[in-house]
Parts: sequence; structure tokens; C-alpha cells
Amino acid sequence: MELTILHLYPDCMSLYGEYANVAVLRRHLEAMGVSVTVDTTLFEDTPDFAHADFIYMGAGTERTQKAALTALLPHKEALRAAIDRGAVVLFTGNAMELLGASVTDAAGRVWPCLAFADFTTEEHDSREPVDVLACSDLLPGWVVGFMNKCSETHGVDTPLIQHVEQGVGNEGNAAEPEGYVSGNVFATHITGPVLVKNPDFTDFLIRRIFELKGWPAPEALPALPYEREAYEATVRGLAGPRCAGG
Amino acid sequence: MRLVLAVILCKVLRFIGGLVGKGSSLPGQFALKVCPGALGRVKLPPHIIAVTGSNGKTSTVEMTAAILKAGGRRVVYNKEGSNQIEGVATLILSNCTLGGKMRGDVLLLESDERYARHTFRWFHPTHFVITNLYRDQLTRNGHPEWVFDAVKAAIFPETTLVLNADDPLSSCFAIGHDPDKVKWFGLDECSISTKEHRGVYHDGARCPVCKGRMEYTCYHFAHIGHYSCPACGHRRHNTDFAATALDLKEGRLTINGETDITLAFKSIYNVYNILAAWSVCALAGVDKEAMAGVINNYMLKNGRMITFRLGKHRGILLTSKHENSVAYDTNLAYIAGTDKPCTVLVIVDAISRKYFTGETSWLWDIDFDQLKSPNVQRVMLYGKYCNDLAVRFKYGQVPADKVEVGESIATAAEYLKENGDEDVYVVTCFSDRDKLLAHAEKD
Repeated sequence: MELTILHLYPDCMSLYGEYANVAVLRRHLEAMGVSVTVDTTLFEDTPDFAHADFIYMGAGTERTQKAALTALLPHKEALRAAIDRGAVVLFTGNAMELLGASVTDAAGRVWPCLAFADFTTEEHDSREPVDVLACSDLLPGWVVGFMNKCSETHGVDTPLIQHVEQGVGNEGNAAEPEGYVSGNVFATHITGPVLVKNPDFTDFLIRRIFELKGWPAPEALPALPYEREAYEATVRGLAGPRCAGG
Repeated sequence: MRLVLAVILCKVLRFIGGLVGKGSSLPGQFALKVCPGALGRVKLPPHIIAVTGSNGKTSTVEMTAAILKAGGRRVVYNKEGSNQIEGVATLILSNCTLGGKMRGDVLLLESDERYARHTFRWFHPTHFVITNLYRDQLTRNGHPEWVFDAVKAAIFPETTLVLNADDPLSSCFAIGHDPDKVKWFGLDECSISTKEHRGVYHDGARCPVCKGRMEYTCYHFAHIGHYSCPACGHRRHNTDFAATALDLKEGRLTINGETDITLAFKSIYNVYNILAAWSVCALAGVDKEAMAGVINNYMLKNGRMITFRLGKHRGILLTSKHENSVAYDTNLAYIAGTDKPCTVLVIVDAISRKYFTGETSWLWDIDFDQLKSPNVQRVMLYGKYCNDLAVRFKYGQVPADKVEVGESIATAAEYLKENGDEDVYVVTCFSDRDKLLAHAEKD
């Protein structure tokens, strides 16, 4: 069993230790006997979307995000073809915004984006870094993490997260939906090592990757040491007495 | 009249605060309520030196004050580190005459990087030292470019900037500023420099101006080094004040090829803080003999390094700000550079002493692999976030049989008290260090 992870712009779109999302996915897949190749793409390169089974991009500064957009736009059709083929895609932090129609920066300039969805984003000159505790219909327990955004995203019809208990949703308020999902494309403004912090999300993506590859569905997924314990400690810290589940 | 009232109120509250041991921002906060424009109306000394940046502010201010005093200047500075506008107001107003004139030859201010623009709305520094911009407390600061924009709003044309030439981002403050009003400090290529970047992330990979691919002829640590961008030409500026030779093992530093300094603390941080202090004091007219006399073997009073005893162990606590990977990395490098067998205890229990967060992404930005050094015999990971630390180590190269994990800091302390006699290095933050020191005997 072999597969390829394509990591877009890891040198600069990895503001909050997000390279770990690729590392944890790789480690889990290898623990299942899968041989994993990680292919990295820089701004100057042509991304090899045709051979990618999993495509990842993390967050950058607002200025770096625009540079990533400029680098990625010429390869939009190749990325769309990979998505149509069923490649599993995860964009975290402000990389999520690039999947929509446009980002308007704090100075009012409109940056047309990939337009795989109709949503639009507006950046502000203030930001709200905040811990996140949320629920998604796709995952069994709480989703935890951190958000560090200075933007609002409007017009997401299919959010990844249905309810943000703590933190802010797409439109900038608590108790809102957050993120975006369509087929095998997943996006959330939660930043950092989202997959390290949410072992259920890692397992969920692994099952999707197995489906894509046509491999038999795994009965049990590997639980690597300390990961569940770390998740539970985070949930206890954030949810306190509410930690019965999402 | 309001100004006089504000000054009196500030002095009285400061006096009472001193008696009951209360904080230094409250008097200024009340005084500013009485006279909101007070800071713009007082007559300030001829030299106003501000120091900001992610790391090294407090140490740079402390050394700058010591040098200026040795150079015969009367210095007023915020040694408590209350660095937002209320704390600065307390400092200035409580040092004013009733006529609104501040005593002293130099006002020296540590300034919070995000709030400098609020303070300097009322008066402008003559000299502004910016030590560096790193990933620091991202849970509050967003990211380094966000902090850059906040500091940029506090820079005025008449101010002389004193900048770290080796930091590609903070060097950008010179863009658009009168070049005669920018002075540069930096480190020449030396024994600690490498051709390859070290660390798990590289914030100098992309040019901060054009996002082109940056080139380095050498790195000193993290993204600090000699860089140039082939695409737009942004490059390390020539220095006015340089560390021309450095031997960190022996603790020897040479400034401008002529002054030798012995380092009391053999850390690269200390070198940059000394350079920053040296530069601004030289610009203030202190002669180099007086500067060298103070800096040579200078022991910082704000003690980020604390020695103690725990059972038969000699303990060294290296204060490392949580959420600041460069602070951790420099302390880990210090440990890896020692020779004797040792145990390293890393504690992450409360991420901040000021606010609650469960955010541990920053652990993934720390280069813990430095602890695979053979002198490190054991790594103990403790505190409420010990499992997050343990996961992080599972993705590193420190052998698993050297790593021990537990939640209770008391248990770790008791265990060490009763077992072994090797040196113990403790790497943790202000928020957590007393939880261990409570079990130790202070040296």
C-alpha cells in the first residue's frame, strides 16, 4: 500500500507548528503498513496534484497568504482535477479562505481566490486569538484547538463544524458553524496541529484516504501513545464539567 | 491644574502602592483619568530611549540603565517592566516636579511591542531600540508581521532607530526612514555561525518584503544571520556596532574589533542584548571604557537563570517563556553545549500566568532534538500538559528510553530528591517555575 501526501508551501504556510499535521498523518499511516511519500511544493514549483492522495496547506501571515494565493492560482485547474478525482484535501487556518471566491484585505483590496465555493472573506485590522471547543457531525467527540484569525467568512453553506461552543465561527461570532466541507475537501480556521490535537479527525481522514485508494476499510485504527491522553486533558481544560461529549 | 493634580495623585498612589507592595500601573491609570493628556504636557529629559521587541527587552533595559549610570547620567526607567501606557505614566509622573518637569537626563522605557503606539502618541522617543521580532505568545500577538505593523505605527521620523541587522523582519523598520537616523548592530560570521539553518521552522525562508526565496551566507540561530533576497534586494545592512568575534564556550565577545568582554551568561541572547545596550549607550555619548567596565561579567538582576539544590542535585533553572520557541531553543542549546551528564526537566503546567489557554501548538515549533546530545541522560516531561509534550517527543529523535512522563511536579521533585546526583536543568516559564522551586533549596 503506497500513497503520496502533497504539502503545499511548508516553508511559510506553517505558522503554528502545522507541519505536524503531515507528520502525524504519515506516522499513523505507516503504523498501518502504508508506505508514505511526502512531496513538498514551494511557490516557485509546479505542484504535482496528479499523483497526490492527500493535499495539505496550513496558515500563513496575511501577506504570506496572498503570496500563496498568487503561487497557487495558475495551478487551479490541476487542483480541481485532483479534487474531482477524490483526493482528500485539508486546508487549515487562513488557507481555508483561498478555497472561496475572494478575500478582501484590511486595506479594501479584493483578491480573487480559487472559487471552488461561493464564500467570501473579509479581513480586519483587529484579531481575536481564542481557544476552540466545537462539535462536528462527522466526528464523535469535541473538536478542540485554537483560532487566530482577523477575518470573517460569509456564505459557507456546508460547514465542517456545526456549532462552536467556545471560539468563533465563520462569521466571527460564537455559537456559529465553522469551516467548510465538500466531498473530500475539508477546511477549518482552527490553526496549529489540528490532527495531533484531534485524533478522531486523523482517524476520519485515514478512512477517507482508504476509501479513495480502494483499500479494504480498516477495522481498528492505531492509537499511538499519549495522543488520546493529551486530547482528553485539553477537553477537560476547555470543557470542564461539560466534557461528556460533543 | 489638572496636570499638577495628576502628578500629586500619581505620587501618592505610588507611595501607598509601595507600602502595600501593589503593582505599578494603577497610579498611572488613575492619573491619566484626571489628566488624559498628561504625558504630552510634561517636560521630558533630552534623551528618551525606548526598547521593544519580542525577546530581550528587560535585560537590554537593565544593562542600558547600568551603563548610562556608570557614564554619569541620571536615568529614570521602568525596572518593574510595567511596559504599557499606564505603567509608563506611573514612571514619568511620579518622577515629575509639580511644575511638570521630569527629573533625570535620560528616560529609558521598556515598551510593550503591541502597545508602543499608544504610549508614543503623546511623546516620541529620541532613540528606539528594536531587539528582534520572533514568534512569541501567538495566542495574544497573532504573528510576527502583525506585531511589526503595530510597532511601525509607533515610529516617527525624528526618532533614531537602533536595529538588529541580523533579523530580516525587524530590519524592515528602516524602509522609508531617514537612513541617517538608522543605526545597526549585529554579529559577524563567527564560531557559532552555520551554513545550514537550524530549528524546526524557518521564518527567514521568505523575504518579508516580497516573499521571494531568501538566501543566507550564514545563520547565527533561528532566522538570525546574514541574509539577502535576490528578488527585491532586501539584505542585511552593514553594522555600526558589531560583535566581531565570539566564543560562547569560553564566554568571550569582542565588540568592534577592539573591546573584549567576558560573558557572565554564555548565551547568544546575552550577546544580542549586550550589543543593543552598547549601541544605544554609545549613541548617547558614553565612552567605550565606561561601557566595557559595566558590561564585562555583568550579572543580570532580573535572573532568568536560577541555581538551586534538590537532594544531591545541583539545579539550574533556565526560564523559557512558554509560547516562545526561540527562548526554548536557546536554552536547549545551552544545555546541549554543557559537558557533564545531566537530567533535563521540562514543565508545562499553566501556559500563561495571566490568562487561561489550552493552546500547545508552540511545542511543535521547539527544536527538542537538541536534547539528543549524549550528556543528556534523561528527559522528564511534567505538568498538566505532559501528554502534549510526550506526543511532541514521539515525533523527535530523543530515544524513548530516556524520556519519562508524569503530571505531578511534586512527584518529579520528590523523585529527584531521593535519587541521583547529576546536574538537573529545569526548562520552564515564569508561570510554572515556582511549582518546582517550592521543593528546592535556593542557592
